[in-house]
Amino acid sequence: MPAELLTFAQLVLNGLALGAAYALVALGFVLVLNATGAVNFAQGDMVMLGGYAAVALARALPVPGLLLLPLVMAAMAGFGLLFSALAWRPFRHRPPIFGLLATVALGLALQEAMNALEGAGPQAGPALLGVGEIRLGPLGLSRASLGILLACLGLGLAQGWLLGRTQFGRRLRASAQDPVTARALGIPVDRLIAVSFMLAAALAGAVGLLLSGPYFVTPTSGTDLILRAYIAVAIGGWGSLRGAVVGALLIALFESVVAGYASSVAATAALYGAVLLLLMVRPSGLFPAPLGRRA
Amino acid sequence: MMRPASLVGLAIALWLLVVLLLGSGYEQRLMALAAGYALMAIGYQLVFGQAGALSLAQGACFAIGAYTAGILGGRLGWPLWAELPAVVLVPAALAGLAHTPVRRLDGHFFALATLGFAVLVRLVAVDAQGLTGGANGLVGVPAFGRGPGAMLVGWSLVGLGAALALWLTRGGNGPALALVRGDADLARASGLDPERIRARGFVLAAGFAGAGGALQAHVLGLVSPDVAEFSVMVGCLAMVVIGGRGSVMGAVLGALLIGHLPEWLRPLGASYRVAYGLGLFACLLVAPAGLIGSLERFWPMRRAARPVAGQRAAPAVATLRIDGVEKSYGGIAVLRDVTLEVRPGEIVGLIGPNGSGKTTLVNLISGLDRPDRGTISLGERRLDRLSPDRIALAGVARSFQTPAPPDGMAPLDLVTAALAAKRGCAGFGAAAELEPLQGRAADLLQRAWSTDIARALALDPAVLLLDEPAAGLDAGERDRLGLLLRALAAEGRGLLVIEHDMGFLMGLVDRVAVLLDGRIALIGTPDAVRADPGVRAAYLGTVPC
Amino acid sequence: MRLFAVLLLTLVATKALAEPVRLPILVPVTGFLSLEGTSQRNGALLALKQAPPGLATGEVSDTATAPENAVNALLRVLDQGPVPAIVAPMLGTQMLALMPTAVEEKLALLTVSGTASLTERGNPWVFRFFPSDRLAKEAHVRYAVEQLGKRKLALIYQTTAYGQSGASYIAASAKRHGAELLFSEGIDTDVKDLAPILGRAAASGADVLLFHLHAGSTALAVRQVAALGITLPVIAGSALHQPATAALLEPMELKGVCAESGSSPVSGGSPRLDRFLAEYRQAFGADPDAYALAQYDATQMLLDILARGARTGEQVRAALAQGQWDGVAMHYASDGRGDMAHSALILCYDGLTRVPRIVQRYDGLDAG
Repeated sequence: MPAELLTFAQLVLNGLALGAAYALVALGFVLVLNATGAVNFAQGDMVMLGGYAAVALARALPVPGLLLLPLVMAAMAGFGLLFSALAWRPFRHRPPIFGLLATVALGLALQEAMNALEGAGPQAGPALLGVGEIRLGPLGLSRASLGILLACLGLGLAQGWLLGRTQFGRRLRASAQDPVTARALGIPVDRLIAVSFMLAAALAGAVGLLLSGPYFVTPTSGTDLILRAYIAVAIGGWGSLRGAVVGALLIALFESVVAGYASSVAATAALYGAVLLLLMVRPSGLFPAPLGRRA
Repeated sequence: MMRPASLVGLAIALWLLVVLLLGSGYEQRLMALAAGYALMAIGYQLVFGQAGALSLAQGACFAIGAYTAGILGGRLGWPLWAELPAVVLVPAALAGLAHTPVRRLDGHFFALATLGFAVLVRLVAVDAQGLTGGANGLVGVPAFGRGPGAMLVGWSLVGLGAALALWLTRGGNGPALALVRGDADLARASGLDPERIRARGFVLAAGFAGAGGALQAHVLGLVSPDVAEFSVMVGCLAMVVIGGRGSVMGAVLGALLIGHLPEWLRPLGASYRVAYGLGLFACLLVAPAGLIGSLERFWPMRRAARPVAGQRAAPAVATLRIDGVEKSYGGIAVLRDVTLEVRPGEIVGLIGPNGSGKTTLVNLISGLDRPDRGTISLGERRLDRLSPDRIALAGVARSFQTPAPPDGMAPLDLVTAALAAKRGCAGFGAAAELEPLQGRAADLLQRAWSTDIARALALDPAVLLLDEPAAGLDAGERDRLGLLLRALAAEGRGLLVIEHDMGFLMGLVDRVAVLLDGRIALIGTPDAVRADPGVRAAYLGTVPC
Repeated sequence: MRLFAVLLLTLVATKALAEPVRLPILVPVTGFLSLEGTSQRNGALLALKQAPPGLATGEVSDTATAPENAVNALLRVLDQGPVPAIVAPMLGTQMLALMPTAVEEKLALLTVSGTASLTERGNPWVFRFFPSDRLAKEAHVRYAVEQLGKRKLALIYQTTAYGQSGASYIAASAKRHGAELLFSEGIDTDVKDLAPILGRAAASGADVLLFHLHAGSTALAVRQVAALGITLPVIAGSALHQPATAALLEPMELKGVCAESGSSPVSGGSPRLDRFLAEYRQAFGADPDAYALAQYDATQMLLDILARGARTGEQVRAALAQGQWDGVAMHYASDGRGDMAHSALILCYDGLTRVPRIVQRYDGLDAG
């Protein structure tokens, strides 16, 4: 392979791991969006909380990150239930902007609470598959990135299976499309919504653990993630799972490749420039979802 | 009796007076800073609260205003009188430029596009060091000082801004904007152009935010990229939603509250920022319609409008001509070579089985979609290249199959909005007085069978397109509807009526057009159509009549 | 009658002297610089704890990140009456916002902010107890050029006030010492994957990598240099010396990496430093960094001035401007513009522990 192509391939490979993590955050966001129509701007802060949960667990239990993953996800699922009771239930009959701002306010409170408890300094979480690098022919991939990639792939496929192939998934989609009819058919809509929040929070917890090892966690580390998830979900079509994943991967590849050839400042500028161009060409995103009209 | 907004305004004025006369330097400083936020929030009411566009660029416009003040007033030493227009015009002009390519976007797609603009503004603030001083910002902006001076200047500007915002949304603008934010398609069919109105709101909001940002720069004596942080935008959203969406006084109240809240919570010590987040949450929880909105709930002030009959001047009559119109979707032809006329004073029925293209034809006439081939014209005027709002104003109004009024809009407001649109005074700017409009609207509502027909009539159309007006009506109601439609035709209006209820339709219309598989199979009197064997076989046979 | 008046005056005067002086501690304890702000607060509080009882009481206020927050906090403090001096925030933009008020209210600002321009604006009320960026970056570059013999530099800096200011002084120092800055680029604090930029820096032909980044980005950069197998020597900014930053990394990842700083309390070296270290750890349960030590030294000098009877801002300012202080970290004396610190260190990690070794000390950096 010529050197130029090799550099490019390496940049793509580097971007893939972060892209997978962004995708998982975006998936959690879409899950709640589809179930309730609510925009959860605290999804990023839940990732942060999951990161701190991982740090705390790793302090108490010195076992590999892989074993902590289910623990963190279970704890965060519980938090998701609490969160839905606070941020969704009281606001479900109000204009959507109230729910959106409520999640912003709770996210802010979470950030500040972690700042008061743990300080603003970065903290390192557990490594999923140890440290070091793995060679894939001429390309290198860190074990941390590999761990993120594999875990995200597994969780993403599990979610796809859950939504696409199970009774639960069918009911969830039915109640998202038409909650009134679903309720009339005896589908427990409220319980399904609570479960969506739990799943979204568990996904956030997983990402929190995965990122806390190689990239550390700070009280504000959710902010960057939610912005990227928001972009990913919007350019993906506002409600499309496939679109959210594609959007997230595009963002990460864009960041990695443009930063690899120009600079990270240029990457940010170019990313938003590209998003604007994309929206001009496709005003309802890459894979317009029926929910798009609800936006 | 005073409205709650005026009472709140009075309370705020009193609070300001007390701080101005008795407050410490600290309290006056907080008030001066709150004035900057209030200007930003008042502007945001125009684009978000009134026009209903979720813009995430208001904080960025605040920053542009601050930097304009920092560069012109600080670095270049412009005097204040020269700087003031610039801090309004520069953000407004940049916002106008940024808005043009994304004006068609809706909802969260629009929000994302404006977020992109905000990120780029922040990037320039931080990285264009030669222009903005980079992350260190600009120092040496002439400061208004700490005393009551800054507060006086700031709140005078807020007073001016509030008056301007109230003027911009006065009279018929209110219901028209409510319709634009409630349902863009219905607004278009009522003669309003949501894109243009939102664009205006966006640019105006940017001007307000610019003034607010400049004020902050002059209060602090410096500009730093912190003004371009997303937290400013979040604060602005919180001010508007907590204060009361759409209300100018709500924006001022929200700005005072959000500006002061962290400072009030300081005595809590280490966790006061946590309390700030929870405090925001609590405000959202306890005031379901914002503070002003919740007050108004306990204070119902809705005057019943007294119907005032308008001068029943004869409408401008004209013939609607549809000539050789074709339309296909994804390669499947829906309409083929459709030619049809609706003459003044004539009622034409349009029938055909489901999927024969009836609603598509109405959508093409009313501009929601464009024909692939063929022309549509009203009198001498071509309609097929006009936007829906232009068509509605040109004299072709339509009703919808399942008219659902937008959330929280009373029928009276809906009809008033269309009346305001017809006068060409809707959407920030020229306005007709509200009361006469409402009187006329009440009259139309009394006359028309449904809110949606009243809304269409408000446009005083030469041609009225009615999509299943009799659906869901009992026999007595249908009779009343029939009387109304005949009376409208007698005024010289042409009516095109889609209806499944053959009994109702055949007794009403002058001519019937039968649409089969996208073609006009037959046009003729009801008797001739009823007698046609082809129509009977294809269509009428399924409906006993 | 006259006797009574004199008695009353004396009483008032002694009472004023006996009343503890209010010492506002205005530092960022929330927001992105709260790690450093907390160090500042702890250093000041430790000095206050060791002061003679009844001399002064600390009042901590958060300044968060935006400049208006710092000014609000100060005005709020002043509502309760004038103060002669405050412990002022690290954030350069907040300092710039506070400085006009300091002139109006005649109060001294004791800070450890590195933003060089603070003391270049002719404001007599600013006192900085930490080497400014100008000095620190001089040490940074001199070590690369003189000690390592490298003349082709690559710099990665943060796009914040701290980063941009430092980057401009590194460029100036490099020029002065005949070194070439082959690569210089800023990154935002939210950049996680530094591989692209590190790759280009390494490929630029430079023979040494300089970082001027905040704590999180510094740790990411050092870690990713190790992971990518980049063999160029690394000299990081002062963020790396913070024990909280080094704690993020494995000792192996730190091997051979150096950093610039004003001091390194955890490295020990003198009995006074060891005592400070022990007391700090006991009081706060954490390791101190150079900011904590510098603010401790600054507060001790201020308390000494107060103990000798200074009560007004003017008295305190004069004593700070003319006095000298033999602090734990270094010797402090104003250069006439409010810069009290004139020394900087280069520290290096040996790959076995997270405690750096002092390899080079630069004194009198601004003499030339």
